[in-house]
Amino acid sequence: MSDIILEARALRKTYLSGDRRLEVLNDVTLTVARGESVSIRGESGSGKSTLLHLLAGLDQPDTGEVLWAGSTNTGTGRRAKFLGMVFQSFYLIPELNALENVVMAMRMTGPVGAAERARAKAMLARVGLAERTHHVPAHLSGGERQRVAVARALINSPQLLLADEPTGNLDEKTGDAVIALLLELCAETKTALVLVTHNAAHAAKTSRSLFMHDGVLKNA
Amino acid sequence: MPWYLYLALKQLFPTGKKFPFFTAISVLGVALGVALLVVSISVMGGFGHEIRRMIVDTQGDVQIRGASLVENPKAVMGIVAKVPGVVGVTPFAEGVVMLECNRKPIFPGIQGIDLAHINDVIPLSRYIRNGTLDDLDDDTIILSSQLAYSIGATVGDKVQVSSPLQLEKLKNDEVFLPRELTVSGIFEIGHQQLDSSTVLVTLRRMQDLYGLGNAVHGFDVKIADGLDPDVVTRRINAALPLASGLEARSWMELNQDFLFVLQLEKNLIFILLLFIVVVAAFSVTSSLLISVVRKTREIGLLGALGGKPREVALCFCFQGLLIGVSGTVCGLIFGFGFLHFRNDILHLFTKLTGSQEALVRFYQFSNVPAYLQPSDLFLIVASTIVISTLAGIIPAWRAARLKPVEALRNE
Repeated sequence: MSDIILEARALRKTYLSGDRRLEVLNDVTLTVARGESVSIRGESGSGKSTLLHLLAGLDQPDTGEVLWAGSTNTGTGRRAKFLGMVFQSFYLIPELNALENVVMAMRMTGPVGAAERARAKAMLARVGLAERTHHVPAHLSGGERQRVAVARALINSPQLLLADEPTGNLDEKTGDAVIALLLELCAETKTALVLVTHNAAHAAKTSRSLFMHDGVLKNA
Repeated sequence: MPWYLYLALKQLFPTGKKFPFFTAISVLGVALGVALLVVSISVMGGFGHEIRRMIVDTQGDVQIRGASLVENPKAVMGIVAKVPGVVGVTPFAEGVVMLECNRKPIFPGIQGIDLAHINDVIPLSRYIRNGTLDDLDDDTIILSSQLAYSIGATVGDKVQVSSPLQLEKLKNDEVFLPRELTVSGIFEIGHQQLDSSTVLVTLRRMQDLYGLGNAVHGFDVKIADGLDPDVVTRRINAALPLASGLEARSWMELNQDFLFVLQLEKNLIFILLLFIVVVAAFSVTSSLLISVVRKTREIGLLGALGGKPREVALCFCFQGLLIGVSGTVCGLIFGFGFLHFRNDILHLFTKLTGSQEALVRFYQFSNVPAYLQPSDLFLIVASTIVISTLAGIIPAWRAARLKPVEALRNE
């Protein structure tokens, strides 16, 4: 099995803004190995989130290609098992409690039984929420919600985790704890991590730091 | 359970919420429509059922008539009685007479009945209000209720009966005196026309009044329960000799115009009330569309988690279906509950408004009849669930069209 989990080759992406064509990504190339953590920093509007969406297969580049473990198949059928995502705004489903939110990611890949529920409970315990499994998102703090989102992202044992400014809505202390947890869990499970962040201290904790400026990705 | 079905259930009945208000309002709208449909169609069906029963009770299931008099009724009865499915045959003679009581003349229809066979076919005793059928003989007469009321006759009174035969006899300079008959009973069927202009005498008296000899005008036939009257009618027609000129017709065929109007009325009520369900379905569409807008980012998340657009669409379609099913179940409970207590409700209403007597006088009933055919119930349930599911299609289509990347950017 190849050790390259994620490969982005010469990605270009432009958007039309009125009559103008905005070049958001310009010849972006990126390779992430199994278990590697890569951070991407950059100012707002530099194209970080657009790159993350292309890497997740949620959007298509104008030119270039994205490969997941050597395959260009980045469709919805493969996404649930290969990829986990964590967002700045958590995006938990408000009608479901913490456990059900985690189990929802498992439902995307197949039937859910007692064993799957036990695994979800264990994952919530691992992120420090053993006592909060039956709380709905409205009754959880920001940090707790993001921990649920991390548990949900990792429950299907993905090979790649994409985190889009996961500490953007958290205070510094809670943010530090969430990043530490993310890195720890990814290291434990040998999951490749691409972390988009504004925080230099968080970026410094990853094995490789990149910087994005005007759609061009460079080493930090 | 597939994730989209699970999420549809959870969005309608969220974890930790005892009373999901928006779901309850949507379900209530559908339930009210279903309850109204069940109550209205049942009551319409009840009236129709009563009218059909009344027709069969007064005419039998099949009626045999000829272009001319039936001179040998016993022979025809013998043939008809042997037809499989026939359980009773009774001859009748009918016409119009002038009836006078207390110097008040009236011209009712008259029916001569064969006392030996009438109970095999027509449960006449059930409709006798005063007196008994046993008191009817060649010197007595039974009057319909409204007719008796209009001429002021009661049981024991004498009435003078003149027939068209009087005029025939006068042409030949013969005298045919009116017959004086004693009122032995008063009947009430619940049919305006029959109750206001019909009298009953024995077949012999009718043959005497019309000079028929032993002849009759036709036969009423009763068939075994559960048999199709049209099938037995065909068997009777096949058994009757062609030369007799007699033809059997089922009660449905004899009253087809009336039955058509009854069915048309019921269908129109169904279509009109179905619009309540349609309006409720629009409210479901509106609620689900608002839900799609409110949950744009969650829909994006479902895409990011690996949900396919078709599955996202199914999630909203299922919500429409679940609202339809829940609303139908609640509506059936409300509807059948109302029907169960319909007479108590009616009696309370008439007591409060003092309209108890008017109800009996104008509608000939003091209880509301109700009868719901299984096919009508199936139609109500199926149409409601289909309409509610269709209500989820527009929101489902909108949700499926959302691109995850755009939905996630939505703030």
